[in-house]
Amino acid sequence: MVQQAGRRVVITGLGVVAPNGIGTPAFWEATANGISGIDHIQRFSTDDLPIKVGGAVSDFVATNYIERKLVNRTARSTQFTLAATQEAVQDARLALEEQDMEQVGAVIGCALGGNGYVMQQMQAMFTRGTRAMSAYTAIAALQIANAGQVSIRHNVQGYSKTAIHDVVGGLDALGLAYRAIRRGEAEVIIAGGCDEPIEPTVLIAMAHSDQCALGDDPDMYRPFDRRARGTVLAEGAGICILEDYEHARRRGARMYGEIVGYSQTNDAHGMTVPSACGKHYARAIKLALQEGQIGPQELAYFSADGRALPSSDAGEAEALRLAFGSELERLPVSVPRTCIGHAYSAAGPLDMITALLALQHHTIPPTINCEQLDPTYGLNLVRDQARPTHGSAVLLGGRATGGSNVVLAIKKVGE
Amino acid sequence: MHRRVVITGLGVIAPNGIGKEQFWDACVSGRSGVRRITRFDASSLPVQIAGEVPNFDPVALGVTEKESVYLDRATHFSIASANMALEDAGLLDKLSEEERERTGVYMGSAMAGIDELEQAWLKLTDSGNHPPREAKEQATLIITRMMTHTYATMVAVHHQLYGPCVSLATACAAGGDAIGEAFRAIQEGYVDRVLAGGADSAISAVGINVFAILGALSTRNEEPERASRPYDALRDGFVMAEGAAILLLEERELALARNARIYAEIIGFSSNINAHHMTAPPPDGAPLQRLLQQVLRQAGVKHEELDYINSHGSSTPPNEVAETSAYKALFGERASRIPISSTKSLIGHAQGASSAIEAVATALTLEHQVIHPTINQEQPDPRCDLDYVPNVARHATVNVALTHSSGFGGVNGALVLARPEWVDTHM
Repeated sequence: MVQQAGRRVVITGLGVVAPNGIGTPAFWEATANGISGIDHIQRFSTDDLPIKVGGAVSDFVATNYIERKLVNRTARSTQFTLAATQEAVQDARLALEEQDMEQVGAVIGCALGGNGYVMQQMQAMFTRGTRAMSAYTAIAALQIANAGQVSIRHNVQGYSKTAIHDVVGGLDALGLAYRAIRRGEAEVIIAGGCDEPIEPTVLIAMAHSDQCALGDDPDMYRPFDRRARGTVLAEGAGICILEDYEHARRRGARMYGEIVGYSQTNDAHGMTVPSACGKHYARAIKLALQEGQIGPQELAYFSADGRALPSSDAGEAEALRLAFGSELERLPVSVPRTCIGHAYSAAGPLDMITALLALQHHTIPPTINCEQLDPTYGLNLVRDQARPTHGSAVLLGGRATGGSNVVLAIKKVGE
Repeated sequence: MHRRVVITGLGVIAPNGIGKEQFWDACVSGRSGVRRITRFDASSLPVQIAGEVPNFDPVALGVTEKESVYLDRATHFSIASANMALEDAGLLDKLSEEERERTGVYMGSAMAGIDELEQAWLKLTDSGNHPPREAKEQATLIITRMMTHTYATMVAVHHQLYGPCVSLATACAAGGDAIGEAFRAIQEGYVDRVLAGGADSAISAVGINVFAILGALSTRNEEPERASRPYDALRDGFVMAEGAAILLLEERELALARNARIYAEIIGFSSNINAHHMTAPPPDGAPLQRLLQQVLRQAGVKHEELDYINSHGSSTPPNEVAETSAYKALFGERASRIPISSTKSLIGHAQGASSAIEAVATALTLEHQVIHPTINQEQPDPRCDLDYVPNVARHATVNVALTHSSGFGGVNGALVLARPEWVDTHM
């Protein structure tokens, strides 16, 4: 297999809107301490819904970040994106006005689009007539709204995409952005993901999909636990500033870490939850380790997909066994996402932000709610409390409904 | 040293033809696929026309019975197009497991799931009479019918492909983007073959109304076939359409080794974003001009070597003005000597599928050495005065062709295709 040596890609800025913290410092503080943002949903009545809890961002005030006019033209997930982007750009100390904006892009994953906005407008249309629909519906609903609004707001003119891939769209977005900078197609890319699954129609549909745990227990998201019965959904956004290493070095940017691998394989097993077979996922893990030239002993931890369904958890455990063999015993595995729920396309970027901070702070954030870890998985799961680490790399795994396995590899920036 | 990428199979489902022969024949004959809407009762909408795909029988095109029940229309389009492309390339059911580990699926879509979300919402709210709740006797809601990634994923499931699945939703440029990203993935060695293209089927009350409420759609309801008229002075908006197209992209050495028929080599792909407005391009077309310059340079093509442009040509007043400005600014005098045609004049705007369908049309142009017309050219717009191959197809020497698309959010993408014989003498 021929692969290009290319430019190095580093991360120089982080932005977060998450159920357990708005802003990176608050998010890290909560996540490192296992503080959950999953709670009873307040924004609408859940009396007639099969799912009553979720990771909601309950204290988000859009007008803190964008003007009222734009609030009226954007969906919630896009507002999250704009807020997180603002934080990330500032965090990177990136003076955009000094950049060649044709070399700056935006690649943002989003699975469900602005579905909340659409459903409000469907209410208007079907009860008051077709002319009652807001003229902004198309631009608010389409997933391109995220890259589009970021581009308009920050004058971004380069390589820009919207990746859609169930729960791994955010990882795909980061991967596409990584490859684009690597081949020289951009110098800086605002990359990440957002989603707004906490909507009544979505919750009902998800409840029927056998992916989500039903009921009202905020602690029910517990991957690899004997009682695991699915994920709990969350909303939010995670944005990273990806940058060409030389470009970052020249401007004295602080580098959180480096992306060194991105791989994707497919189980092709059908349009259902991740497979109990770990063979293709193991292949993706090995490809990412190879591309990143990472030895297992360098890994601080493996950030798992943690789908919390017995068959999917078994598949993930099998993949880890196939990929790591006897090294698996010593390899810490964690699903810090248990603190916020599964934020769909935001999940991968939030996992990556968590991992970058974990490397910086020499701390593996814990998986919560796993009091009854099933020992047959053979996993060294970091539970309840953070664990210190000297590792210098992290692998992030994600598996989509339908069979895709995506792995992203990150490292501390070498001297 | 980059690997080279060629197109060896084509699959297309369009409002004016299913399969490449029917589609191309209709395009060259100037036959429109735009008609009055039949898929739902559009009488309460200001727009009652669309490019629907008539007589689509998924099972006849290789979609399984089970898939035909559980999956939505655009996914059927995707699987059927993939079947056609593989068959056309002589690879249907012929790839080994190892080869299938190195084969991926890249699909673009703009409106995936809108139709299904609408149906789900109507059911759960009893047409808006109460907040969503589970109905007592409802059928299981299938969330995957509302998800964009289903198209690529189900193509992979149907053909047991174990390589990467990528779905892009860069609005109306999505299909072309998928082809471009697939091109890169093969070039850079991540995969050897990719089924790449786009699909969309959003001809529903909400799908139409979100654009009608913007004033973006033609309301020429009494004369559907004359409604999509890019560059014409009387154009009044685009026509919504559905469809799909998939191209089999293959690493060139593998294609040559198996004596594959090669339609074209992909020699360039580039994309950018306007940073201007969510729907309208800047009138001077500057970002498009920069994009075309970039992609031609990347492809190593001099302006005088470009033989044809398959344009975005959506039939909206601002779009074609911006396009024309971009062509003139880039090519100068030469702009009036490059034939340009818009497939959308024949089939309307199939959203995320359009740029993939247009890539198929461009590949067929290279194969047949015939340029399909832009139809409905009756009254020239003084601001659009280039050669749009009006109304009648034309024989021409086409060695190098460019197809470009734009979308909401301000995204632009462009692909450059060339005849293999030309590439051999110019590399």
